[in-house]
Amino acid sequence: MLQAHSLLWHYLWLAPHILQVGLAVLMWRSGLSRLFPVFLAYTLFEAVEEFTLYGLDVLPWVRPEIFWQAFWVGLIVEGLLKFAVTGELFLHLLRPWPAVAKIGNRLITCAGVVLVLVAGLTAGFTVPANPYWLISGAHALQQSMYIVESGLILFIVLFAAYFRLAWSRQTFGIALGLGILSCEHLAAWATIASGILASKSGLLDFLNMATYHVCVLIWIYYLLVAQKKVVTKSAVSLPENNLALWNQELERLLQR
Amino acid sequence: MTLAILLVIAAVLALVVILRVTLSGSLQLARSGSFAGQIQPIDVAAFRNLVDPAEDAYLRRRLPASEFRVVQRERLRAMAFYVQTAGSNAAVLVRMGQSALSASDAHTAEAARQLVNDALLLRRNAAFALFRIYAALAWPNSGLAAAPVLHGYERLNGVAMLLGRLQNPAAPLRISANL
Repeated sequence: MLQAHSLLWHYLWLAPHILQVGLAVLMWRSGLSRLFPVFLAYTLFEAVEEFTLYGLDVLPWVRPEIFWQAFWVGLIVEGLLKFAVTGELFLHLLRPWPAVAKIGNRLITCAGVVLVLVAGLTAGFTVPANPYWLISGAHALQQSMYIVESGLILFIVLFAAYFRLAWSRQTFGIALGLGILSCEHLAAWATIASGILASKSGLLDFLNMATYHVCVLIWIYYLLVAQKKVVTKSAVSLPENNLALWNQELERLLQR
Repeated sequence: MTLAILLVIAAVLALVVILRVTLSGSLQLARSGSFAGQIQPIDVAAFRNLVDPAEDAYLRRRLPASEFRVVQRERLRAMAFYVQTAGSNAAVLVRMGQSALSASDAHTAEAARQLVNDALLLRRNAAFALFRIYAALAWPNSGLAAAPVLHGYERLNGVAMLLGRLQNPAAPLRISANL
């Protein structure tokens, strides 16, 4: 079952991207495309890219070099779009709060520069497991991209947690999906690029595809399923204590 | 191979952190009850005294250099405690304000927005101040400016009070009393 060109393999390669097309259409119809235009572009591109790669993989007359050249092109565009999606997420998180917008932008720029350096260094130190540069280079590029991507998502999550910034349902879902995706893909592509588990690389492909499927479902859930209305109390409930005394002292101090 | 293992470990750790932080954050939001109960009291007078440059100058004049360093380190540790508490209170106020953002009353929503922005500013300043305090712990003779935290805190007190007044006119002052 866990073999290339098995039924499960076909399903895992195609199903998430068919779902992505549906997600893109529903985003467009619900107006979410105006809120998340970059994520919509990423979703559509990812679907088109994977359908193309699937076609190139299963068609017998397509040479492997053509497949890997298409893979490279797709990878570069996909990587740029993913970074843009990360930027879109951060923008949504910070836009309402000018108090932390500037410092947030500076910090994420610094984090990005450091992550690119780390990714470059790790790519330089990775010993190619595949003799064909077109393949080993693609693996190293995947590894580098996911180092930067997972690092940026981790930064955004920690930044939001430190400042207790509230995520909207949609941004939370996109960030959660991207976080799971980039961390799992980083682990998988680092393993593939180094040649560890070379005999079982097919299993890593299945893991990557299954994770992507889960992430698409997460995106669908958070972007398209309506949120339950939470009834909040209008008044703040307060415990019993001697706060009146504190307040008197504070107000006296503040009026000096 | 070692590099790949390191990257796999880093990826797993990052995934654990992302899941833990995002899921615990959403659980906290779901069960956010009494915010005011989470606010810790701060002795603003003592804090003000600690960050007063005149107090620093006085101690520097009156004490021998070695003794001044010891005293100054103690003061810095106390200052760090106050700043940490102010930062924690600011975090509670961010959540408090965010929960009031969707209020139907425009004044309440605006006060909530103002509160969140000020609390974020204070939390940012608290982080900077803590960094400087810890740096100053290594060099107690260097100057230190934690005053922006104090001013931010005082401003926050006023905004929190306004939000409390708008949300619960019967007990307006109790929200800010803890501050």
